[in-house]
Amino acid sequence: MPIPKKNITIGGEVFEVPDLGALFGRGLNALFIVIGALWLLSGIYIVQAEQQGVVRRFGKFVRVTSPGINYRLPWPIERVDKVGVATVRRAEVGFRTIDPGPPAKYQDKPEESLMLTGNLNIVKVDLIIQYKIVDPVDFLFKVKGMEATRRPIEAALRQVVGKHEIDEILTTGKGEIQEETLMLLQKIVDSYEAGLKIVAVQLQDVHPPDAVRDAFKDVASAREDRDRLVNIAQGYAADIIPRARGEAAKMVKDAEAFASERVAKAEGDAENFNRILNEYRSAREVTRKRMLLETLEQVLPGLKKYIVKSDKSGGILNILPLGSAAEGGRK
Amino acid sequence: MKRNRTLRWIVIALVVILMTAYQVDEIDQAIVLQLGKPVRVVIEPGLHFKLPWPIQSVIFLDKRLLDYDSNPTEILTRDKKNLVLDNYAKWRIIDPLKFYVSVRDENGAQARLDDIIYSELRVELGKHDLDEVVTKNREDLMANVTTTTNEAAKAYGIEVVDVRIKRADLPAENERSVYERMRAERKRIANQYRSEGEEEALKIRAAADSMKVTIMANAYKEAQTIRGQAEGKAIDIYAKAVGKDPDFYDFLRSMEAYRKIIDTSTVLVLPPETEWLKWLK
Repeated sequence: MPIPKKNITIGGEVFEVPDLGALFGRGLNALFIVIGALWLLSGIYIVQAEQQGVVRRFGKFVRVTSPGINYRLPWPIERVDKVGVATVRRAEVGFRTIDPGPPAKYQDKPEESLMLTGNLNIVKVDLIIQYKIVDPVDFLFKVKGMEATRRPIEAALRQVVGKHEIDEILTTGKGEIQEETLMLLQKIVDSYEAGLKIVAVQLQDVHPPDAVRDAFKDVASAREDRDRLVNIAQGYAADIIPRARGEAAKMVKDAEAFASERVAKAEGDAENFNRILNEYRSAREVTRKRMLLETLEQVLPGLKKYIVKSDKSGGILNILPLGSAAEGGRK
Repeated sequence: MKRNRTLRWIVIALVVILMTAYQVDEIDQAIVLQLGKPVRVVIEPGLHFKLPWPIQSVIFLDKRLLDYDSNPTEILTRDKKNLVLDNYAKWRIIDPLKFYVSVRDENGAQARLDDIIYSELRVELGKHDLDEVVTKNREDLMANVTTTTNEAAKAYGIEVVDVRIKRADLPAENERSVYERMRAERKRIANQYRSEGEEEALKIRAAADSMKVTIMANAYKEAQTIRGQAEGKAIDIYAKAVGKDPDFYDFLRSMEAYRKIIDTSTVLVLPPETEWLKWLK
């Protein structure tokens, strides 16, 4: 760039010197251009992948921009707020995570976690809510400080817990409570047009208050006692019934054994009798006598025998008493 | 020279704009005050103009849904029970002019809402039993309070969108009695479990015992039947055999019986006429 020159006349002589004023003016112009360019460039902004940009022109909402490099008119005409719409946020009720750890540290918030159930019992509930911003425009412009507030969560949770009995809450009803709380909470934030979607409601700890915990534990052990008693009784039944069946079987078998023995014996006896009878038939009187004598030979040795003449009277009295006579006889 | 003049105009224009323009944000609404007196309300967000200060000035009010949170208060229910209520409300400014004139700003509004909500809650809860407030129709109840509160707040340019019970708890001294009751209830349930266990166990034992008796009785019956049939059969066999010569059987059986009956302690007194002694004579 040629340096601007101007002619000045000093003492009738003409000198060519650099035109400082023009030079300065030009420099100023250049400065303005640079500043202007920088100002225009300051409108470039980047929206991260999980974000959306919300652009306001003079305070009025004009457009939502997507992730990537974007341009807005520079301050003070347009401004942009970047809202993390894909991020899942969480809120804790009943406790706070002080240090995510490991090991994680928590602080208990009994004033949040103790609540009334149906039938006016008190239960302790810790809860985590996960939510997302689905409408960044509503989120920014419709509700003041929505994100920070835990109030609708508590309100919804307590309303739901108030409808359920304590036993249900402590045992089987957890899923139902999560579900109902989620629905109710979504309904509440929708009515506020908060631009939020409740992703999940998770009951963390649900247990009876410390003051009555031992009583609840006793119920649990009572339930175990019941099962134990029933098990023992079933064990008893399982013991005696098979045993009884065994004994019964034995009884029947014994009877069967007896029966076959009895019949066999009868058959044997009958056979024996038949055999003897055949023998006897061939020589009746002789056989009978022989058998009688054989019996006597077996029976009579070794016992006292008196042979007494049977007179008309008193014959038997002569030898009485029989007992001492028998004794005397033995001496 | 010409350039200087345009520069001058630009500067003047900028100054004028700076003095007269104002911007209303999406979250705000504005009231234009002329010498302290409200002259118009601007709700539409964007760039707007007014006469320069000090003739006209602008105040901004929030257009969003706002929070109200009270301190927990004790309220008496219809069944004369105390309940500690902690409630919150969502409200917004719908009539900025009325709002500005009557309560001025959000702090003023909070104080006014305190009064309104507390009295409406007291009225509404006075119509319900404790049990209803905690469990059954909390939702209807709150809808009623919202409606009546909203009605009362209209005078201040405020719309109450939602009044909600955040916490409804019993006062500390009642809490103790609740714990007592809970403990008693648990005790009852525990006892019930234990006696149910005993009942069940007794039933099982009794059933087992009775089953055992039945099994044994049936077995006895079967065994006796078998024995009986065997006896019958044996008798039949004997009878058939004996029937061929009953007299001989009598003799034979007697012989057998003698062998068993007579032993060494037996004393036999015999007349000499006895048949088998005849050879002694």
